[in-house]
Amino acid sequence: MVFFLQQCLIGLTNGALVAMVALGYTMVYGIIRLINFAHGDLIMLGACLALTLVSVLGMAAWTGTATWLGVALLVLLCGLFCGGLNVAVDRLVYRPLRNAPKLAPLVSAIGVSFIFMNLGLFWLGPADRSFPELLPATNLLAGEGLQFTAKDLLVIVVVVPLMIALSVLVKTTRLGKAMRAVSQDPTAAALVGIDVDRVIAATFFVGGFLGGAASVIYGLYINTIGFQMGFQNGLYAFTAAVLGGIGSIPGAVVGGLVIGLVRALSSAYVGERWAGAIVFAILIVILVFRPEGLLGRGTKEKV
Amino acid sequence: MNTSPTATGPSDVTDTGSLRDRMLGFVRERWDFVALVALAVAPLVVPALGGALGGQVTMLFIYCILALGLNVMVGYTGLVHLGIAAFFGIGAYLFAILTVPMYPFQMRFVTAAAVSALVTAGVGLTLGAPTLRLRGDYLAIVTLGFGEVVKVTLRNLEQITGGMKGLNPVPPPGAGLKIGGTDLGLAFAIDPRWFYYLALLTLAGVVVAMRRLENSRLGRAWVAVREDELAAEAMGVSATRVKLSAFAMSSAVAGLAGCLYAASLSTTADPNAYDFNRSIMVLCAVILGGLGSIPGTLLGVALLVGFDTVLAPWADSAIQQWNINPSGSSLLSFSGWRLAIFGLALILVMRYRPEGLVPSRRMAAELHEAH
Amino acid sequence: MKAWTWAAWLVVGMAFAAGCRPADPTLVKIVSSLPRTGSAKQQSDTIVRGIRMAIEEAGGQVGPFRVEYLDLDDSTAAAGQWTSEAEAANARRALQDPDVMAYIGTFNSGAAKVSMPILNLGDLLMVSPANTAVGLTKPGLGAPGEPEVYRPTGRFNYTRVVPADDLQGPLSADWAKKRGVKTVYILDDNEVYGKGIADLFDERCRELGIEVLGHDSIDAKAQEFKSLMASVKAAAPDLVYFGGTTQTKGGQLAKDMASAGIAALLMVPDGCREQVFIDSAGAANLEGRCFVTFGGLPPEKLTGKGQAFVERYRKKYGEVPEAYAVYGYEATCVALQAIREVGAKERRAITDRALAIRDFDGALGRWGFDANGDTTMQTLTVSVVKDGKFEFEEILDAAEEAAAP
Repeated sequence: MVFFLQQCLIGLTNGALVAMVALGYTMVYGIIRLINFAHGDLIMLGACLALTLVSVLGMAAWTGTATWLGVALLVLLCGLFCGGLNVAVDRLVYRPLRNAPKLAPLVSAIGVSFIFMNLGLFWLGPADRSFPELLPATNLLAGEGLQFTAKDLLVIVVVVPLMIALSVLVKTTRLGKAMRAVSQDPTAAALVGIDVDRVIAATFFVGGFLGGAASVIYGLYINTIGFQMGFQNGLYAFTAAVLGGIGSIPGAVVGGLVIGLVRALSSAYVGERWAGAIVFAILIVILVFRPEGLLGRGTKEKV
Repeated sequence: MNTSPTATGPSDVTDTGSLRDRMLGFVRERWDFVALVALAVAPLVVPALGGALGGQVTMLFIYCILALGLNVMVGYTGLVHLGIAAFFGIGAYLFAILTVPMYPFQMRFVTAAAVSALVTAGVGLTLGAPTLRLRGDYLAIVTLGFGEVVKVTLRNLEQITGGMKGLNPVPPPGAGLKIGGTDLGLAFAIDPRWFYYLALLTLAGVVVAMRRLENSRLGRAWVAVREDELAAEAMGVSATRVKLSAFAMSSAVAGLAGCLYAASLSTTADPNAYDFNRSIMVLCAVILGGLGSIPGTLLGVALLVGFDTVLAPWADSAIQQWNINPSGSSLLSFSGWRLAIFGLALILVMRYRPEGLVPSRRMAAELHEAH
Repeated sequence: MKAWTWAAWLVVGMAFAAGCRPADPTLVKIVSSLPRTGSAKQQSDTIVRGIRMAIEEAGGQVGPFRVEYLDLDDSTAAAGQWTSEAEAANARRALQDPDVMAYIGTFNSGAAKVSMPILNLGDLLMVSPANTAVGLTKPGLGAPGEPEVYRPTGRFNYTRVVPADDLQGPLSADWAKKRGVKTVYILDDNEVYGKGIADLFDERCRELGIEVLGHDSIDAKAQEFKSLMASVKAAAPDLVYFGGTTQTKGGQLAKDMASAGIAALLMVPDGCREQVFIDSAGAANLEGRCFVTFGGLPPEKLTGKGQAFVERYRKKYGEVPEAYAVYGYEATCVALQAIREVGAKERRAITDRALAIRDFDGALGRWGFDANGDTTMQTLTVSVVKDGKFEFEEILDAAEEAAAP
């Protein structure tokens, strides 16, 4: 029982991290129907910056409140960095392709992902790099053999508020309304006076900011970064976004948690070697029975 | 169907002007024939094709076949497929199972290739049937997931697939066949030009088949479903059957490419050779070249795969031989910049030729109508 | 369609550029085929340095010939690791170039399976500084048909200067037994090398009566192993064995093992014996509990010529060489000696001369090739990680172990 609970805990924590990356996919997809293949590699660059900042500031020596404040600072800086980078890429690469065939931006996104990877290669070097353990590894759950450390807590503490903030942003603010309008019909949105390009840029910024925050959490939680980390990261997150119903914010979160749980439990009860395959097999089965994803809304056919 | 006045039809260039124009016109109209002749003569005049380059160009042909298979799904039928490498791999492994010494089948090359292409098509149907309801990117993610499942399964079913060791040795075609005292299989193993011709011949066959399909009833049904599924159904085209046939055709061609791949490497290689990266590479080649366009697909593969397997190693060793980079810094080696150059090329082509380098006439015409 | 013809011309032009080099009677080329892009680059860098040093020390000259070295890459940017295609292309290229007299490589055993049969056709000498999979040379130990399948001509052309895994895997288990280990949990990276060595370790543990609590393979592309480590923790073994390399997530595994609060010892093979492994795992997570085996002697235990090599390397590059650098050096010395003794550009003769080496006095000590082209060196070193460095712990000798009851 303890073993099962422990695996669930690990699965949910991993899943929360996946969910956070998935949000970046789902935001961008929701608004311009683009699978942003470069998102995982954007996060890799965010993690590069985080590692550089940690060593420049000498954060490994900080303790107590200073550490937590430092983490908040990292989240902010890396978020701004990734958000800004995402906006720049949108301006330079995707915006000229707004009216191009549907698959053209997809290929450009793959191109951007390759360029990011090359930058990461120069930044980090070819080998994996260790991200220092800034947070204490003490177990927060006393006794009972269950383990839940400050690192694990951090993931939850950052992911949940960000998710709530994002929902509020999209549901209630003016910008959020504009985003939803553009997502439904860009032409009509432009006709009612919405600056479509600015709204799209804002979406890229929000998605990038979440990615930047995720990159810091990733570094602190997994403790290893490398120039190739974007790929696997992106693969799971993208899958989570689709599983939950791509374009849906709660969907991305549910998708991420499901993937985390399935991965942990199949590693525990079937074997680590099959875990990756089981995640995708379950994805296929779910999509066969719910073609719009878990929380996605069915699209009406236009005749 | 709808040749708009802007599109340059073949009839515009023939019968006019000087000899030079006539020759250019011939090359333009019959590029396929000219290219085939050039490639067929090349090994006889270019000695390097008897060596490493021959093997690399053979690989290019094999990827061309794979890309033409993917083109059926993505180009003609408009279904985004992110797992073509899985079918490539299934073809390669089936072919290996049917030919390697550790299994009792040990079929001849042609039989084994036919059987594996057919079975791969069956696998395509099995995946296609339950997932046809899915739209656009949901289908894409299913194919991606299928690719991952296949890769992990190939790796873990060690008793059948040899795990990371792969299945080897895959005998060359014609092993045991004596022609004039020499073993044909040994000839294949020693001189890459044999495989070069085999792959070229197969590629030519696939191109001819694709041409005929394009203009057949089925080919037009694929395009109809791509353009408007509902309208196509209203016209009495069964979208289900049409999509399934695209799945099957695409898988069969990919499986065939896999057979050639395994035979020319004499091993299935390890399952990582059939991962997501490969699917993406081929997809990029198809889109970059021009969706639904046969010359475009071939050009896309030649540029993208050629860059990674022919040009990059060549440039790296050139840099070494000219001794530009004695310290071995990665900033000064070509491979240090490979990814960035590759990415930049993808972005630039999409920016300035969003419909691809050689768009299919149909696609180009539509784009000009739409805007 | 113009673009298409342009591309065709480009290909034809390159073909001519590549094909029109005549053989040079005063030149001998040595090529190496190692993963130069991606995550194994750090390891291959040190091997390449070793190779360059051997050639430099010979004055760039062997017998009457000038030596040229070509550093080929068997990985591609897209894959980020070695690929069968790149390796096959390198092998064909070496075979085709009449000046190439020796092929130093490969790094990965899987890659050797691709290039061995190709090079065999041209009798080109292949000396591997790092392949340890048993099936490459040893009849009866690998898959059915190995190693004959790698020799289509029936003649030998492959040698390696590093001891194979049939030494390392079982001896590691013997060491664990001696240390009083009763239960183990075995993990591997599902690669030819890692899984091969883990299986040998597994087999020997069962023979020795060490209980194997579990044996699972990881996906080298996975990011973390927290669930796996929760399972390991629940099994509570004395020792965790990981068959794999730094590139296949050895460091992450150690890290997650520590953060899951597992107190067991960790044992890893030579694929992890590089400073990067300690860096990527975090020195604190390995301190005093991580044992690394290595076929042969580590740089700091080398004597005579080996010690001199380490000294020169340190002067030149400002750091102690990684364990494999000396193997790159030794492999090149073997090739150079064979070429020098034959004194002619005849591949078969050079290959035979190298295979006939029975007593070689080199940087690794005195050793020779056996009938399979394997090194006769039978020592295994166990090191422990202390203060962020590998520290020598013990030398095991296969001959002595066999003699002991």
